[in-house]
Amino acid sequence: MIFSEEANDAVVERIEEWGAMKGVDVEVVMINENETVQRISAAIEAGTMPDAFDLGVDFALLLSQTGQLQALDDLYQQIGDAHGGWLDAMDAILASTDFGGAIYGIPYAASGINVLYRRVDVLEPVGEADAPATWQEIAVNSAAGQDPPSHYGMGFALSNVGDANLTTTMLQSWGGRIADDAGTTCTLDSPETRAFLEWITGAFADGLFPPGVTTWDGGGDNTAYQSGNALFIANPGSVYLNIRENDPELLEATRFSGLPAGPAMHIVPVTAKLRGIPASTSPEKTELAKDLFAFLAEDEFMEQYMSAAIYGPALDSQLEFAVFNESPVHIGLADAALNGTPGTFPDVDNAALAEYQTNFLTPRMIQRIVVDNLSIDDSIAETQAACQAIYDKHNQ
Amino acid sequence: MLHRTTTSQKILYYTLLVLLALAILFPIYYMIMISLKLPKDIYRTPSLLPVNTTLKNYLDLFEKRDFFINIRNSLIVAAAATFVSVLFSSMAAYSLVRLRYLYRNWIGRLILFTYLTPSALLFIPLSVIIARLDLSNTLHGLVFIYLTFAAPLSTWLLMGYFKGIPVELEEQARVDGGTRFQAFYRILLPLSAPGMIAVSVFTFTAAWNEFLFALIFITSPKLQTVPVAISYLITGDVFRWGLIMAGAVSSAVPVMILYYLAQRFVVQGLAAGAVKG
Repeated sequence: MIFSEEANDAVVERIEEWGAMKGVDVEVVMINENETVQRISAAIEAGTMPDAFDLGVDFALLLSQTGQLQALDDLYQQIGDAHGGWLDAMDAILASTDFGGAIYGIPYAASGINVLYRRVDVLEPVGEADAPATWQEIAVNSAAGQDPPSHYGMGFALSNVGDANLTTTMLQSWGGRIADDAGTTCTLDSPETRAFLEWITGAFADGLFPPGVTTWDGGGDNTAYQSGNALFIANPGSVYLNIRENDPELLEATRFSGLPAGPAMHIVPVTAKLRGIPASTSPEKTELAKDLFAFLAEDEFMEQYMSAAIYGPALDSQLEFAVFNESPVHIGLADAALNGTPGTFPDVDNAALAEYQTNFLTPRMIQRIVVDNLSIDDSIAETQAACQAIYDKHNQ
Repeated sequence: MLHRTTTSQKILYYTLLVLLALAILFPIYYMIMISLKLPKDIYRTPSLLPVNTTLKNYLDLFEKRDFFINIRNSLIVAAAATFVSVLFSSMAAYSLVRLRYLYRNWIGRLILFTYLTPSALLFIPLSVIIARLDLSNTLHGLVFIYLTFAAPLSTWLLMGYFKGIPVELEEQARVDGGTRFQAFYRILLPLSAPGMIAVSVFTFTAAWNEFLFALIFITSPKLQTVPVAISYLITGDVFRWGLIMAGAVSSAVPVMILYYLAQRFVVQGLAAGAVKG
């Protein structure tokens, strides 16, 4: 279940339509996407797994490694062939070595894409109306446009929430790496990491972040932007849907662009939403689930779904959907799905990196400096040790 | 020696009481205010007084999202869990307090330890039990689960209350020809009414507010209880504050009424139970 009720309803109706067509009794259980891991974990233990379900790539990695998912290579090929092929990003994401060479989920959308929102009504009068091309430009524009305590520039979370892992993307844009190319040794302790930390902690010291960013919850950036307290945020699109519905003035004052580049490279992470079939599903129901996935992938339905959801395209045929050529946010999502950097590029997408991100080690490294007054060197050394411990655990 | 309270002391006491009342009531006031605002005003006009007051959040909640069904589900589950829990706990507590048998004290302590086990540790084994009993996604399954924490707590609290009632009263009934069970329900239970009411309110509130088990074991939207339904108003990184606050206000009303009606017994009952080991 995602933010858009229209999209949620469309999926339920479509599945029920398929059930009626096939003469199959279907029960669609919509669960909050935030609770997928807990609910599925409980279902595995209780032996009450559904016959098919939606999940994210990280969770698919984990489940595939424990033998909980069925390989779906044939269906992946079949759906791709029927829709002009999968976008390169989808192929790249599912090619993670940790999947062991098999396809364990059918992508239905490109997700995890952040779009940069900016308050053009405030930035234009100070001559900073154009989309920033680099993260450093955001800091410059923020300094020019902000007027504390009314509004601050950089509405990016630095707390222990998923949104704050955007700082890992920033770090990579500075040329920093979490681990080496083998994905086994942590390489945080580098001049690039130092340079990134000097920039971001400098911006914090200059008062460019709204107060409380180090303790924000998952909705902190949304709240800051919608309350007019931040000039820039990075968000997948839920804020766009919300202000389109509730605050047309703010929508009018907002412009959207892709994530900017850093001094070393341009990182725009793209991941995928998948549909999977548990290993516990019977052969007969597996065939039905595959048929359902193909039915759900049909363009007519997906065009309706994508126009209400906040995802990018996963298949070539979806690039033609009107929403990806008309809606400003969806144009950005489609662009990122096409030209973004799959998974955790340039780092190796593996279970160790997933745990690094789940533990929010990059934002914690920043917090240690701006909250606990640790030196940059000490904070890097501490995080390097914590990171290596994670990688060592997974290397065993 | 008693001494008269001076005017300045009275002013100090009342000032402190007013400050305390404000600290307690302000979050409730702010919750109500937010529930009466449009989404845009919640973010853009964070005032203490209503701006563009509207009942839209309540209308959306009850008309579009059938929140009455969630309240009904919570009422069924909490009332059933309370009734069954108090029924069996009163007998269990009586047994532990009045009867003499081996390991009685250990059993009493074990019951308390059962209550103290964190629910997060129980939810996986309970998942297995519920699945095997085919009670998943049912309200009676949820009642069954709630008894795992409600019954031990009720028993423990009632043990303290029963200990405070002189055993001689029951012995008198026995001398007059009553059975032990008659002594229990004709003498002990009526005398324990404040304690029973206090325990019922406490159990009801715990079941009404329970979130984790209701989230895990109920999958159908039509069977969701209030806390789960409210949590579903948060999707991804979007918090629908107006609806969330309207839901919180609406779900607080039944419990507030219950406490208002039973507050005297709650204070008496819990205080009596608290000092008996």
